Order: sequence, then C-alpha cells, then structure tokens
Amino acid sequence: MLTQRLANIVFTILIVIACVWFGMIAQGFEASGLLASSGLPSKFFPQLLLAFTAVCALIVGGLYLFKGQAGNDAGETVFAGFAEARRGLLMMAVAVACYFIWKHYGFIPMAVIIGPLSLMAMGVRSVWQYVIVLALTGLTYVVFTRLLNIQFT
Amino acid sequence: MYGDLQALTSALTQLAQPVSILLLVGGIVTGLVIGILPGLGPPIAIALALPFTFYLDTVPSLILLLGIYSAAIYGGSISAIAVGIPGTGAAIATVQDGHKMFKAGQGGEALGFSLTGSIIGGLFSVICLALISPLLAQLAAKFGPREYLAISVFGLVVVVRVAGQSLSKGLLMGGLGIFLTTWGLDELNGTERYTFGSYHLYEGLPLVPFLVGLFAMSEVMIGAERALTKIEFSQASLAVRLPGFRQLANMKDVLLRSSVIGTIIGIIPGEGAAVGAFFAYSEAKRKSAHPEKFGTGIPEGIVAPETANNATVGGALVPTLTLGVPGSPAAAVLLGALLIQGLAPGPRLFAERPDLMYSIFIGLFLINVLMMFIGLVAIRFAARLIMVPTSIILPTVMLLSFVGIYSVSNSFFNVGVLLGAGILGYVVRKLGYSIAPLSIGFVLGPILENALRQSLTIADGSVSEFFNTPIGLTIYAVLLLTILWERIISFFKRR
Repeated sequence: MLTQRLANIVFTILIVIACVWFGMIAQGFEASGLLASSGLPSKFFPQLLLAFTAVCALIVGGLYLFKGQAGNDAGETVFAGFAEARRGLLMMAVAVACYFIWKHYGFIPMAVIIGPLSLMAMGVRSVWQYVIVLALTGLTYVVFTRLLNIQFT
Repeated sequence: MYGDLQALTSALTQLAQPVSILLLVGGIVTGLVIGILPGLGPPIAIALALPFTFYLDTVPSLILLLGIYSAAIYGGSISAIAVGIPGTGAAIATVQDGHKMFKAGQGGEALGFSLTGSIIGGLFSVICLALISPLLAQLAAKFGPREYLAISVFGLVVVVRVAGQSLSKGLLMGGLGIFLTTWGLDELNGTERYTFGSYHLYEGLPLVPFLVGLFAMSEVMIGAERALTKIEFSQASLAVRLPGFRQLANMKDVLLRSSVIGTIIGIIPGEGAAVGAFFAYSEAKRKSAHPEKFGTGIPEGIVAPETANNATVGGALVPTLTLGVPGSPAAAVLLGALLIQGLAPGPRLFAERPDLMYSIFIGLFLINVLMMFIGLVAIRFAARLIMVPTSIILPTVMLLSFVGIYSVSNSFFNVGVLLGAGILGYVVRKLGYSIAPLSIGFVLGPILENALRQSLTIADGSVSEFFNTPIGLTIYAVLLLTILWERIISFFKRR
C-alpha cells in the first residue's frame, strides 16, 4: 500500500512546484494608472504566502525524507486497505462524473444516477438501499423545486 | 447596546414569530440527527443548511443555524456513549468514560450526565457571550489594521498549534488557505490576480462553496471508505436518567471549571469544541482526587468534556460577532451565513443591528433550554438513527451539497469550487493534514492581507511599528505566553 512517507514526499514536491509556478504568475501582477503607486504591490502578499507555504512544504518533505515521519505517522499507509482505497477513490470519481453529467446532460440525469452510482462505488448490494436513496433523491428534488422554487438546468 | 428597549422588543417579536419558533425546534432536531450520525459534525450540519437560509429573514435563519450548531455538538455524545463512535470530533473525549458506563449497564445515567452537562455549559457560555460581546465590540471599534493583524496572526497560530500532531503540516495548510484568498481582484488597486481570464474569479474563490466542499464533500469521500463497516448495537431504544441535584452539586467544580474552559477556548479564534472537550477532560482528571478512575467509566469523565464542548458555542460566537474572526471551523461556516444575509460581522454590527444581537443571545438561551426537552425525546429514537447505514447518508449529503450550493447562486462555477475543495480536502486529510487551519486561513486571509498591507503603509515599511500599539502588543504577548506556557510550567516544576 501507498505509505504516508512516499505520498507526503510526492505531495510536498508538487506543492513546491505549484508555489514556484504561482509565484512566477504573480510577477506579472501590475496595477495600472494612478492606483499603481498606491501602497504595496499586489504581488507582495501572494508571493509572501507562496514562499511561506513552500518553506513549510520543504520542511514537511524533509521530515518524511530524513526522519520517515511528521507527526507520529511512521510506517502508516494512506489507505487502510485496497477495498477502502477503491471505495474512496471511486466516490471521488462519482462526484466528478456527476458534476460533468449535470453540466452536459442536465440536472435530472445527474440526480437519478448520483445515488445508485455512489452505492455501487461503495460496493453496496442491498436493493432496498438503492430504493431508499432514490426516494431521498426524489424528496430532495421536490423540496428544492417545489418549496424553494429553484430551477435546475 | 444594552438599554435599547426598542431593539429588545423587536428581537422578542421576531423570535415569537411562528417561523422562528418552527425553525428553532427544527434546527435543534436537525442538529441532533446530524450530530448522532457518525462523521457528520457541526460544520457539515451548518454547511448543509446554509442554502436554505438564503430564502429566510436574518433572525429565523440565524436561529436555525445556531440550533443546528448547539444540538449537533451535543448529538455527537449520544453515539459516543451508545456505540463508542463519536458522532463529532467534540465527542471523542466522551467515548472513554461514556461508552464504558454504557457497557456496564449505566447507559441511561451516562446519557443523562451528557445532556445535563451540555445544557449547563451551553447556558453558561450564552451568558458570557451576552456580557462579553458588547464590551469587546466597544474595544474592537478602536481597532486599527495593526490590531486586526495581531488578532488574525493569533487565531492562525493557535489553530495551527492544536490541529494535528505536526506543526509544519498545520502551518502548510494555514499558508495554503490564506494563499487561496489572494485570488480575484486586488481590493486596494483592482489588479487581477489568478483570475485565469474568468470573470467568475473576479471576486475570488467563493467562501461558502469552498467551506462546504472542504467539510461535507471530503467527508463523503472519507466516509465511503468505511461505509460498509457494521455497527454493533443491540439496543432497540435508549432511555435517559437525569442526575439529581445532589449529584450535580457534587460535581459543581467540574461543571464550573469545564464551562469556563469551554467558553475561553471558544473565544480564542480558531479553536473548536474538540479542543475544549479534551482540555476540560484533562483538567478534570488532573484536579480529581481519583485521576486513575478516569477512563474506566465515571460521570466526571462525561460531564467535563460535554460541558466544555457546548460551552465553546457561545464562546466561539464572541470573536465571530465582534471581530468577524471565527472562533471555530463551525463558526467560520456561520460567518458565511451572515455574509449571505448581507451582514458584515464586526463591532459596527452591534451599533447598527442591536435587535439582531438580542435575537442571537435570547435565541441561543432558548435553544439550550429547549434542547433539554427535545434531547430527552430524541434519545429514544437515537438507536434507530445510529443503525442507519452510512452508505445511505453519503449520497444524500453529496446531492444536498450540489443542489444547495447551486441554489444559492445559480452558478455551476460554485459547484465546481465545491467539488475542487472537496477533492483538496480529501487528499490533504488522507495525507494526515488537518483541514481546520485551511478553513480558518481561508476565512482570515482577506482580513490578514488588508491589515498587513495597511499596517506596512502606515508604518512606512517598518515592521517594528506593528508592535507600537498597546492592544496589539498585548495580543502578541498573550500569543507568546500560550506558545511558551508548557515550557514555563515545566521550568517552574523543575525548580
């Protein structure tokens, strides 16, 4: 399984790369006209925060690299097991898929499949759970569209 | 503020409206239900109710959210006692003694102590809130950028220190949270920052979708991992046995100390109910004549954390209402509700809307009193709620988050932010980071940036000028004291 050590080292490297990239973008923040000379430049605070975040990420990465832990998690894994990892990651995929289904095909297709897809992602086989989740979806739809008069596209 | 009879009458009139009463009861019931369900804590409960407040007047909406906030913290103790699974982080300390009492056949007594402690702590903190807030608001009216900078730094440092076991990880999350608030147009000169050509980002990343994503969506993904775990629980219903006056009198020291601890921890910006509960538990154990009995199933081990965690509610509202600085992650979401209502929390709110302040104080008092009666009934049905499979709850929470966020703004962009924040929250939580500094950083970011830039401009670039203010200096001194407190204590003990 993926260890906290490896995952955190990769994560902190990504954070540092992101900080450098955002820092370079911040170099281009220029105020125009009379406001240009007012107070501190717009890039000051983001770059300060990016530098701070990058230093923290380097410290965390260094702790994992040289001590093998940061906060008593030596030897721990990110997921408890393959089944847990599959369920969590599939649920994330369902959330992303539902967002795009809503965006491209409308609200109702998304609302109809969000429950069953989630249950499948979690590995639920009980039929009555599918029925209850669909009923709750219907109830949510009625509350928002009839009681709160929301128009979903 | 006090003495304004017109405002008081207006507050009472608004609270006596049938809608307000209905929402008060509804808020308590909803909070209890969500609190009992493992994994869904007060920030998620408030976040899921936020979209509904968009369609309500200010007072009823705040009453609904405050009812949910208070009841969700208490509700967590029921599943902690009955099945040993804390419904909320605030109830983790309650598990140790509460579940032991339950297994020893004293479940009714344990639930009674938890309910009574929660009510006493809640009422105590409301009284403190009503007494302290106007005074702090008067003081805060004199605050300038340097004082706000000091308060923001204080809040961030404190939340980073208590969030998780690694200081550097907490700081990383705090920094990331603040950085994300720099997106959008620069408030001082209109420069576009990280807008990536999208007009949606002109006002930056929206607060409410970000917080709902961070708390609710990430919990859906985390919860999915253990959704098939079966809860061992054989009781068909639960009954409460309230403690007698003599039992409470014997625990008056624990009750008072825990109420004070909870309120103070709540007032400190950024700290939440879980910290208050743990602190009160360890203090009760330290002061006890029989510390070895803690953890074996004794009433004091329930009363201390439960009194303190509910006392944090009133405490957390002190900085939220007077300074606009949230006292806890849940209060950060509550701050979002005030912003939805077009209100800017801060000292001016006390002068401009005294009726609202009266409504909050009186409403919170009523919530705590009513929670006693509703709690007694709700516990009887708690067994059925505890048995509800997580796999049914999670898709519903996800759908509610989606439609709730969309309904507030009719914006797909906000749903995208919700999803992005959810994935970010999931990833960092899996890697052992706490999302509390991230959320508090995201709320404090704009205050911090404005205060820092204004302070530097006033001081002509001199950092030493930051400390040239008595209030600011006091705040930094208290911060330093809290950081060095344990070392000072151990130094004197060694001598």
